[in-house]
Amino acid sequence: MTAVIRTQSLSKWYGNVLGLSDVTLEIDAGITGLLGPNGAGKSTFLKLIAGQIKPSIGKVTIFDEPIWNNVGTFARLGFCPEQDSFYEDMTGWEFLTRLLSLYLFSPAEIRAKAERALDFVELTKDKDRLIRGYSRGMRQRLKVAQALAHDPQIIILDEPLNGLDPLGKRKVIRIIKDFKDAGKTVIVSSHVLPEIEALTRSIILLHQGKILAQGDIHFIRDLIDKHPHKISVMCSDTRGLAARLVGEPSVLNIQFGPAPDTIVFETRDRDAVYGLLPRLVADNVIDVEEITSPDDNLQAVFDYLTGK
Amino acid sequence: MPRNALRSVFSFFFFIGRKARKTRVFFLISGLPVLVALVVQASRLFAAGAPVDGPSLFNNVIMAFELQFLILVLALFYGTSIVSEELEGKTLTYLTTRPVDKTAIILGKYASYGLFLLIMLAASVVLSFIVLNIERLADPDAWMAMLGGLGVLALGLLAYLAFFTLVGAFLKKSVLFGLFFSFGWENVVQYFPGSTQKFTLMHYLKSLLPAASTGSPGKLSFLMVGQQPSSPGVSIATLLALTAVFLAAACLIFSRKEYIFEE
Repeated sequence: MTAVIRTQSLSKWYGNVLGLSDVTLEIDAGITGLLGPNGAGKSTFLKLIAGQIKPSIGKVTIFDEPIWNNVGTFARLGFCPEQDSFYEDMTGWEFLTRLLSLYLFSPAEIRAKAERALDFVELTKDKDRLIRGYSRGMRQRLKVAQALAHDPQIIILDEPLNGLDPLGKRKVIRIIKDFKDAGKTVIVSSHVLPEIEALTRSIILLHQGKILAQGDIHFIRDLIDKHPHKISVMCSDTRGLAARLVGEPSVLNIQFGPAPDTIVFETRDRDAVYGLLPRLVADNVIDVEEITSPDDNLQAVFDYLTGK
Repeated sequence: MPRNALRSVFSFFFFIGRKARKTRVFFLISGLPVLVALVVQASRLFAAGAPVDGPSLFNNVIMAFELQFLILVLALFYGTSIVSEELEGKTLTYLTTRPVDKTAIILGKYASYGLFLLIMLAASVVLSFIVLNIERLADPDAWMAMLGGLGVLALGLLAYLAFFTLVGAFLKKSVLFGLFFSFGWENVVQYFPGSTQKFTLMHYLKSLLPAASTGSPGKLSFLMVGQQPSSPGVSIATLLALTAVFLAAACLIFSRKEYIFEE
């Protein structure tokens, strides 16, 4: 599959402040999550691939074309900025139709596309209200609507779930997934792990302007095998299981809890332990309720990689 | 740059401008001469023999106010806002992610704001003329003189608007610089002897006033103190050329410069 977005040695400084450092990657169709704490360089990266700022070093291509000052590529791109800013004296309908007029669509096309976008984000009944009267969730959905109204092939969303209530989040997540189901490319950023997990398993971890890891969560886990891998077992005899595990050289440490009847232990040899566990359980007749790996949670991966 | 893109941007900002609070405020400010004219005429009606002569008041006070204050203020606040309001409101992204050339954004917004300002200016000049020349409305010469003056003001307005568009595209604190330029440089340097005064736009505007060509006392002649006027042809050509240069430079800067929103 040909990559939709490519960056090569992409770096950005704001004066002496480093925004992004030496980022080389390829992004394919589907949803890609950009994850990192505040100030990690997520917005800088998204603005660079949206052609809103110019790389200090390196290059960005969208469909093999450079993006900076390449007006032609903007028709294929939808960008939802992080900032909560609008032309406040417009209604939602005016905002969308006026922005669509900048694509030089015919009036009939503009009406049809605006209606479809408003319907998609469930704002049809509020379309004639002034934007200044919209709730936070409605404003966020309108921002998403302006990014996808012209039916772009790529949509870039900077913290689209920020500040939304759970219902609002669910609506925006559904919108993003619907867009992906239509075969489009979505790049979405967040500093909140469960939000990204709810959207995709394909992630890019950013920290201090650098890529820490990229790929599927399991692939990323493989990259960090030098870090201990946690395994949690909920069973009938935690002390008996712990006694058996203590003798295993692949087990680094064992803790009881945090839930009752649960032990959590760390290993550097995940495959060996997963092979050993069933044998220990069977030999010692221990009833196991659950075996989980907290490391499969993105937070754990992120903590490992950032050395927390 | 496709003409359609320019028209779309023009229509976008003309639509926004119509609803903007700023438009109402500046319409009121530009209505001040009309208010003054109404007060003067009312005082003439109710206080017979008042020394104020309407046509003379229009030709001197009102036109001087329009020339030396109003067009500068209108151009300053609209011109610098062409870029800065998009930055301060953080709405620039909505424009620069569309398939519209950045030159079209500047020129389309300049055209739309220019039209607003010309409407404000024309309303201010024509209404105050009508109020103060109520007894001379049948005199075609009075109308022609007023229209001539309006033409000079319009030319000046568009030139200053282009200059402040450039300043706004280039500087962050553009209004402060604009105030210094308008009421410092333009109002002082125009009175310098020799060719220094030619470094002001006001010099070329004043060179187009009737008093500059006739040298006779009368309409706005007090504004010509210390002036060594250029010929009307040179003045018009210079103003048009400078307007084009300012706009081209503003487009170039806006296309090349990176605008980062302040957190």
